[in-house]
Parts: sequence; structure tokens; C-alpha cells
Amino acid sequence: MRIIVCVKQVPDTTEVRIDPKTNTLVREGVESILNPYDQFALEEALRLKAERDDVRITVLSMGPPQARKVLLKSLALGADDAVLLSDRDFAGSDTWATSVALSGAVREMGGADIIFCGLQAIDGDTAQVGPEMAQLLDIPQLTYAERVSLTHDLKVRAEQQMEDGSRVLESDTPVLVTCVPTPSFVPKVPPMPGILKAMSKPYEVWDSKRTGADPSDLGLQGSPTQVRRTYSPPPRGEVVMIPGDTREASRSLARLLIDRNIVGGAD
Amino acid sequence: MGIEIIREKCVGCTACVKGCPFNAISMKDGKAVIGPECTLCGACVKHCRSDAIEFERPRGKEVDRSSYKGVWVYCETRSGRLMHSALELVSKARELADELGEDVGAMVFGSAAPKSFGILGDHGADVVHFSSESRFDEYLTGNLAPLVSGLVLKHRPSIVLFPATHTGRDLAPRVAASLAVGLTADCTGLTVQDGLLIQSRPAFGGNIMADIISPDVRPQMATVRPNVFKAKGGVGKKPDTFEVNLNEGMKDAAVRIIEIVRTSKEGAKGIEEADVIVGGGGGMRSSENFKVLEELAETLGGAVGASRVAVDAGWRPRSDQIGQTGKTISPRLYIACGISGKIQHQVGMRGSEVVVAINKDPNAPIFKVADYGIVGDLFQVVPALNEAFRELLGGG
Amino acid sequence: MAPSVPDGCARTGPEPLMRGCGAMTGFDQETRDLILESLREYAKQNLPEEYLLELDHEGEFPREGLKKMYEHGTLGVHLLLIPEEYGGLGASTYDAYRVCEHLARIDLGIATGIFATFLGLDPIRVGATDEQKEIWVKRVAEEGLLVSYAATEAEAGSDLGALTTTAKRVYEGDRIVGYRISGSKQWISNGGIADIHLVLARVEMGVSWFIVPADTEGIKYGKPEDKHGIRLANTVAFTMDDIFVPVENLVGGAEGLGLSQAQEVFGYTRLMVAAFGLGAGSEALERVVRYAQTRVQAGGFLMDKQGYTHKLIVPHAVKLAAARAYIEHVAHRIDEGDGDLQTEGAIAKYFSTNAGNAAAEAAIQALGGYGYVREYMVEKIKRDVKITQIYEGTNEIMEMTIARNRWQDHLKTRSTLFHEMSRRMTRLHEKVSNVGADHMSLALNGLNVIFERCRQQKLTRNQHVMFKLGELSAEAEVAMVFCETAAMDEYSDAFPYDREMMKAMARIRARQAAHKILLEGIELVMGAGSGDAQIMVEETRMYQIIAAQKGMVQDMDLVATKIKEVFRSR
Repeated sequence: MRIIVCVKQVPDTTEVRIDPKTNTLVREGVESILNPYDQFALEEALRLKAERDDVRITVLSMGPPQARKVLLKSLALGADDAVLLSDRDFAGSDTWATSVALSGAVREMGGADIIFCGLQAIDGDTAQVGPEMAQLLDIPQLTYAERVSLTHDLKVRAEQQMEDGSRVLESDTPVLVTCVPTPSFVPKVPPMPGILKAMSKPYEVWDSKRTGADPSDLGLQGSPTQVRRTYSPPPRGEVVMIPGDTREASRSLARLLIDRNIVGGAD
Repeated sequence: MGIEIIREKCVGCTACVKGCPFNAISMKDGKAVIGPECTLCGACVKHCRSDAIEFERPRGKEVDRSSYKGVWVYCETRSGRLMHSALELVSKARELADELGEDVGAMVFGSAAPKSFGILGDHGADVVHFSSESRFDEYLTGNLAPLVSGLVLKHRPSIVLFPATHTGRDLAPRVAASLAVGLTADCTGLTVQDGLLIQSRPAFGGNIMADIISPDVRPQMATVRPNVFKAKGGVGKKPDTFEVNLNEGMKDAAVRIIEIVRTSKEGAKGIEEADVIVGGGGGMRSSENFKVLEELAETLGGAVGASRVAVDAGWRPRSDQIGQTGKTISPRLYIACGISGKIQHQVGMRGSEVVVAINKDPNAPIFKVADYGIVGDLFQVVPALNEAFRELLGGG
Repeated sequence: MAPSVPDGCARTGPEPLMRGCGAMTGFDQETRDLILESLREYAKQNLPEEYLLELDHEGEFPREGLKKMYEHGTLGVHLLLIPEEYGGLGASTYDAYRVCEHLARIDLGIATGIFATFLGLDPIRVGATDEQKEIWVKRVAEEGLLVSYAATEAEAGSDLGALTTTAKRVYEGDRIVGYRISGSKQWISNGGIADIHLVLARVEMGVSWFIVPADTEGIKYGKPEDKHGIRLANTVAFTMDDIFVPVENLVGGAEGLGLSQAQEVFGYTRLMVAAFGLGAGSEALERVVRYAQTRVQAGGFLMDKQGYTHKLIVPHAVKLAAARAYIEHVAHRIDEGDGDLQTEGAIAKYFSTNAGNAAAEAAIQALGGYGYVREYMVEKIKRDVKITQIYEGTNEIMEMTIARNRWQDHLKTRSTLFHEMSRRMTRLHEKVSNVGADHMSLALNGLNVIFERCRQQKLTRNQHVMFKLGELSAEAEVAMVFCETAAMDEYSDAFPYDREMMKAMARIRARQAAHKILLEGIELVMGAGSGDAQIMVEETRMYQIIAAQKGMVQDMDLVATKIKEVFRSR
């Protein structure tokens, strides 16, 4: 069984700050990490691998040369081989151009029974690349999957998270699954033996030609969407701190909210 | 560019006939023939085992942009109910369409469809494309994506909006990729400038805002979070309705629904719809402690929400989660208790009209996005607030 | 791909061994980065501060937690320090220092527990027969056995010669089948929880190491010590009452090899404790720098006030950077097979642990009231790091060792030892003139004068003089290596500082070291012997060193400003 897991190196957006003077993103000192959703997807794949003895997991990433780090981490966690799609041609890709490149690479690899993706990357937050890849590869998709399993006849089942509950879906292979971690998920730390093994696992760097894609579909020129401008979210205005001890402050606030019709109106 | 059956290769197996969502292929003298209903969705190609269908997808980039007109909305239904997001998006579409001088089109599928014409029109829809078949009541990608793609290809709207719900985020990128067009996710702002749709959205976990455009390609597609735009009824349109001609046998062959588990009560109000929300975060320390928030919420006639910290700790269900990876809320009043106010939480609650923050740390970021703040122990302040409200509202 | 074990490693005689035996192949930087990241992530998830503070409060040893860290699938941390051929991962000395530093940053008690197992393995790794290595090192690697290094006794701490634990031969016919060991051991790390103890005992001709399973009948364990610091480490005393140990467990299969087996690794083990001091001290320092950028007093951030930074931050940052440079220098030399470097290891241990302790102490002061409460961690670090001045050889023993060695070298080289070092600095200064090498050149020349005075007046009859010479030699050599390090084209990735800052730091250290060496050296000679103060001052060129202090405050300002950028407040 062949599994491909798509991973991305992202800045740790929980640590990113805005410079109050220039209103721009301060990225220095912010660590680059393996996208947590992707790590969860990888661990789901590793779980399936542990239950069988015929699973090969390839990790695939599109990124700059330093994305090697997240591929090595994935190998250290137990993936079998890695491919980094890295080429200046990919610069400026939006989700469409990214999906074109990644699905091209998947085809070049000969496809897979299951393609795992994290639901979304914590920098882009779009959740688009997975489904777009599935469409380009012409395979079904199971999104928002919290847990994946295989039936005895090798169909893929996923517990799909919904706003008001969940449902269990079953799909034929090949299929693309986008994963969302359970609230209790704690990402594994690559153990020492895994790290040493990782350094000698197959690792390749592919350029844009390997995707077999039309160059006009890649990178900035291949991206139908563009960023016109970025800016910091508008501030809300000065907060009014309510003075006084607990009792006084609570009373003042309650009175204030009622007086201004924010509470106690048409309810 | 276009689609063609290569007669010499066609063996007459009729697989393409069965595989066309729009019933656009028929057999003539043992060979397949493509009729005028064809929308160029390309679904037939993968069914043909004889390589007899030549298909070149029209490239979004090569088209004449001015020929695309109409602001369309994918209206989500669940189990036979039209979702509120549909009304929010149709209202927004109406606003955009008025500026562009175009019409608003709504797509709605499932048993809820016929009942919804009125309300969709009331919110500004000029046209409704629908199917009332019950097989659309439970969303499956393979059922809806080719359908939506086909409709869009045929009718050429300039803008298509989807709700950024689980369904919308499953469907919209699938459609966008099939049309080779751009898609902007989770928009919190949509405006028109020089005939172009400006799509504003948070990025980097909500740390910055970005304005995205799709200058060359049509249609321009975006997903929009529920509770960002307000539904505005009273427009009073009576829409033209068109039932989609569907291939009866056409369905998602690859994916089946095995089981459905509903955790919230049918029709129960989620926090997305509450007017007053009292939220708890890391400062709550336990699931039991949420009781004080529930009491305050009850006094105010509202609901209880939670930050990601509280959900990850297992104190509250995920359906209560407010934030970047949770729900967007826009109540009249949001009281954040023991929530530090990380940017990812702010993204979810920014739409609240009035924000009150209660935290024992005066430096907590939540105070930067609050209108009123009290520095103190929430386990003292919240009960005191509750008491004060009950008294002032007259034994409420 | 295991490196072949060189001849001379199948031990039978007491010749000193090269470190290269069972040599560790090193990791490349990527591998090392992944390893250190895993350690940090693991600690963040499993060893949060509140948990560590709780265990510290209770004096509780996290046995399950430690065992979990040894699981191959979870972290396998112990494998790092075990050679590849026995199932370990084969870190180099350099890799090991980085790992030890990181462990110390997490918790020095846990670091001690992990390190103690490794230390306990040492006699086996360097002195055991191939069979013994095959069995025991492999078992530790595979099963995650906890080991203790049981040498110290109540009356034999620094002085192993005073050992009273004895091992008497047990015969069957005329064959030795085992030994009966009696005696008590004290202050043994992991003593109460180890699976096996490496016990040092007196035999007929000298001392020997024995592998003693912890459940051997006749061992009585004391209660874990209630300690000032490293309270997460298990430290006990135990007594052995005529316990039986089979002859296969005599390390090396021959009696009397014990001391050389112990000493052989001193260079390495001392270096690891130096790394501990560096790690703990650096952790404390970094907390101060982050804190001081948020704390406003008297209209400004503490971080912008000289009275604060130039006393509580800069000198410590400088000393810790110098310690790191020296540790790395020695680590590389050990990895290159440049001998066992026991004296250099002693210098590293001495200087680094003193620097770590000073930094931790300053950290409490720097955080004021917050530094005094447990929650802010620095008082725990201060309590923890104290042990590094005591174990693995007290710092007084280090002074003695350094002094003895350098004294002998001074004599053997006919008083050119420090002269040569001085010339080395002069040559450096000609190439790179802004790392303070000129000050060190003067200092080393001056140190030579002091050593010479001591020789001429036979002042080393005074033990006080010997110890002081040890202290001054350490100061000199560390500062010298720091100058050389700062002058390099590239710094190791462990240094978070840029060129300007490194060079300023080297200058500061050079000025301070030179001043101390000359002033205290002259005082020493005057105090123990006789001499003309004026002549001494001229000969050592004391005045030039005083003049060289020029620019000190400016350099300190630079370090204070730049260190803010390196350790930003969160």
C-alpha cells in the first residue's frame, strides 16, 4: 500500500507578533515548524502503517530548500522516503498553482492509495490545497477527517467532523484525506533512533519539470489570485477599564450595559 | 477548445452516458453524441475506457471577462433546512450586484429548495437554480461539485460566493480547481472597486489582513465565514427558478455515508446565532467551573462559548469553540472570562458589537480588543456581575 | 559501519588509554539540530515548569518519567552517549556537550540522572573485556537500564586513595569464582533507583570496578538525601555487607585497573559537567534579559540601565560565552584524538561551573522579589547549579589539578610554557587586532613572571599558592581561547551572537582576566614570598593592563544593547 503525505513548513503563527511601530509582521526569531495539521495527518498515516506490514509512506513538500527540515522530521517520525519540490518557478504560488505542482509530483511518483494532507496550513489557513489536488488528480476526497481506518477490503473510512456532530464516510481508493486533529492531540517528538535513521532514508529534491505541469500554471504567473495589499487588523479603540473593587466594578458595568441597551433590551 | 467524441474510438459502451451529470450525452447509431446541454464539466472523460473523448477545458485565463455577469451564491442546506449563511451571503451578493449592475443568482439543492424560493427572493435573489432531490440533503462532494461546476460553466457568473463552513470548504476548492479559477478563503470583507471584487481575509493565524484580487480569471470565487455579514430581508424579489436537468443515475460513486452522529439538538441555537455569549478560557481551570458562566449566560439570555485552550483541555465541546479554528461569532455582547485573547481567538470574536473582558492579568491581549475591562478574579467578578444584573433587571 | 576498536583496547595492563577507544563518530549539524529540537519539544510537552517545581518542592525523583525518556520509541535519550557498536547512536564529545547543556537547561536533576547512567558505564566502556562490553553496554542501550557510579565514600570523596570498600577473593579450589564486597558508598547519584551499580573497591593490588546488580543480597539502601538542589535527582548512601559478586563482573577481568579506568575519562566527564554549568547559567541569564525588557522602574526599562546591566547581565554573559568557547575548544581536541585532556577538562569544569553559579546568583538579584519566589525558576536554578562546583571533583580539586599540571609543564618547558602562549596571542593580535589578544599577551607574560617568582622563591610549598596558581592559569587559558574563538571567521551555531558582539565580549574578558591575573598574582608573590613591588609591577607591565581598561564601559554598553535583540522578551 502506498501512502503519500503532503507536509508544509510554516512559521509558528502562535509566536508571530505585529511590530506596533510599523504595523508589519515580525518574523525574525519565529521558528519554522512542521504544520501541526500535517503532523497529525502523518501520525494517522503512521498508525495505519503500524497496523500492517506493507505500507510505504512518502512525504512530499513544496517549499524552499530549508523545508528539508520538516521532511527530515517526518522521516524521523517514521516516513520511508521524502521528496522536496523546490524551484524558483514555484515562487508566488497561490493555492491553485501549489495544487498543480503537488498533484503533478504525485503523478510523477505513480500516485498512491491514500494521499494525506493536513486540513490547512496555519499560515495560509485556506484549507484549499487538499481538495484542489483531489480534483486535479480526479480522485474522491474526505475532508475534516479526525480518524482514518481501513476496512478489511481496503476501503478507507474516515470520521468526518461536522459543525453539529460527525459522520463516518467510506471511500474507494485512491482517495485524498484532509485531517483535523482531535482536541487531545499531542504531536510526537522524533525519538533519537528515528532521527539517526532518517539521515539515511531516500531523499530527493525535484524541480518544476518533474511535475510535468505547464509552466504557465506554476508560480506567480500561474496564480489566478494575487495579494493586493496586507495590513494589520483595525484596532478596536481604547478599552474602558472599570475601576473599583469586585463588587463596585461589577455593579458599574452591569448598570452601564443596561443603560446603553446592550443588555436587557428586546430579549 | 471544447469537447469531442472520436467516433472511430467509441465502442458504444454508454459509460459516458451514465456518467454525465447533466444528461447531455445520448447514443446514435451505436456511438455517443454530445448534446447542447453539455456544460463542459468534463465528468464523462474519466468514464470512457476507450480514450474516445477529447476534451480541452476552457482556461479561465483565456476568457472574455466582460461576458461574465452575475453574483452567485451557493446556498447551503442541511437535512432539509436552509442554513442562515445562505441569507447572509445572498444579502451581501445583492449589495455587490447592485454596485455592479448585475443580477443575484442562488444555487440551492435538496428537499429544502422549493420552500426557500420565497426567502431567497426576500433577501435579493433574482434567479434560483435548484434541484429538490432529497439525495442532496446530506452533502457528498461527488454529488455537488460537478453540478455546481457545470452550472457555473454554463451561466458564467462573475462572482460566486460559498459559505466557509465545512461543506463550503470542501466544495468550493473542488469547484475552483475544476474551473481553474482562483478562490479566496474565509473572507471577512468583500467590496467592489473598478469592477473588481476585493476579497479581504485574515492570514498568518489572524495576525494580518490581506486584500486578495483575481484580476484575470472568471468567475471570482470566495468563501465567507458565517456571521460576518448580516442578512437583510425585505428586498422583495420574486426570483425566476430553474430546475437543473439531472442524470438520475448520477451520484458520487466512490464515497458512501456509513453513519451520521448529531451532537447538538436539532434546531438548537449554536453560539453562532446567540445574541449574548459568555466565553471561558484557560482561566476556568476545569469543566465544572463553567457553571458560573452558564449562570450568567442564563441571566442574560445567552449562550456559553469557549476558547481553544478550554476545548483542547476537554472542558467544553468543540462546537463551543470560538476562534480561528473554531466558530466566528457576532453577538451583541461578548463577555470573555479568563481568556488571554491570543490573536487566533480575536479572529473569531471580532465581529461582536460590544466586548467585555475579565482577566486577572492586566497585560492580557484581550484588553486590546475589548470595549470594557475588569481586572480581577473571574470567580469573584462573574458571580458579582450575575448578581448585579439579576437585581437591576428585576429578578430576571 | 562501527569504527574498529584500535589495538591496545583489549585491556590487560594499566597503560593509559586514548579516548579514541570505542570512539564516537559525530553527528552533522542537521542531525544535531533535530536532536536538540526533540529534547526541547519533549521537555515542553512532558516536563513543564509547574511539574518541575512540584517535584523540586517534594524532592521527588521522576523514575517513570526518566524511564519513559529512555524508551526507544519515545525519545531514547540515553542512546546518544552510547557508542554505535553497542546499539547506541555514537555522539562525539562536541555533540555530547550540546546535549548535556540542553538537558541542564531543562532540569539539572534530570540531567544528572541521565548523565550518572552514562558515567556508571564509563569503567565498562573503557576498561571492560569485549565480552563484558557486549553484554552490559548493550543491555543499557536496549533495556534502558539505570546505572550508578559508586565510587565516593564517607571518608573518600576527593581522595579516592582513602577507599575502604574492600573486595575479597572467593575461591573454588584454586579458581577465583567471585568476590565478597563490604563497605559503604555515599552521595551516589541514581543510587537508590539504579538497576546496576559500578562499585569501586579495594583489591589486593590497588582498586577495581565491579558490576553489582542492585538487587544483590546484602545491599542496604539509605533514604534519598534531602538536598539543597537537584532535588529531582536520586542521591543515596548504601552499604554492602559481604555481598557476593561473580568473577565475570570484575571489570576488565584483571585486578587493580580501577584508578586508570576511572581517570581515563576525566577529561570527557569534566567537560560534560562544564556543559551543565554553562546550560544552567545560560538559562538563568536568558530569563533575566527577557524580564529586564519588560520591567519598568524609574521611568525606563531595567534593560536600559547601566547600573543594572553592567553588574548583573554583561559580566555573566561574557563569562558564559568564554566558557562555551573553551568547552568547544576542548571538545574538538578530544574528538580529534588529541589525548585525554584531563587538565583542560578540569579548567573547563572549574571555569564554567563558577560562571554558571555566578550567573544564577546574579539572576535572583536581577529579578528582585520575583527572583526570590519559586515561580520564576531562577532560585531553583541557583540551588541546582551549586552541585556542579562540588561533584565530579570539587572545584578545589580542580584548582589543585590544574596547578599541579601547569606547574610541571612550566618546569618541563624551562619556564617557556606561558611565554609561548603569550607569543601565540601576540601573533593573533597582529592578524586580528580587536579581540583583546594584546591584553592576553601581556597577561600570559605576566603569569610567566609570577610562576617564575614562585619557582625561584619556592613559594609552592604553600598550598595556598598552588591553588591560586591553578585559579589564575584557568583564567588565563580560558580568556586566551576566547580571543582565538572570537577571531575566527565563523562561529559554531551554539553562539547566538554576531561578530561585533563576540569581539567586544572577548575584549571585556581579556581586560578582566589580565587585570585579575596580574593583580592577584603580584599580591600572591608579595604575600607568600618577598619582592620589590615596584619591580614586579614593571616586570609584569601592570600599568599597561590598567591602561588597557580603556574602552571597557563602551564595550559593555554594546553588549547590553545587542543582547536585547538576541533574547527578546516574549
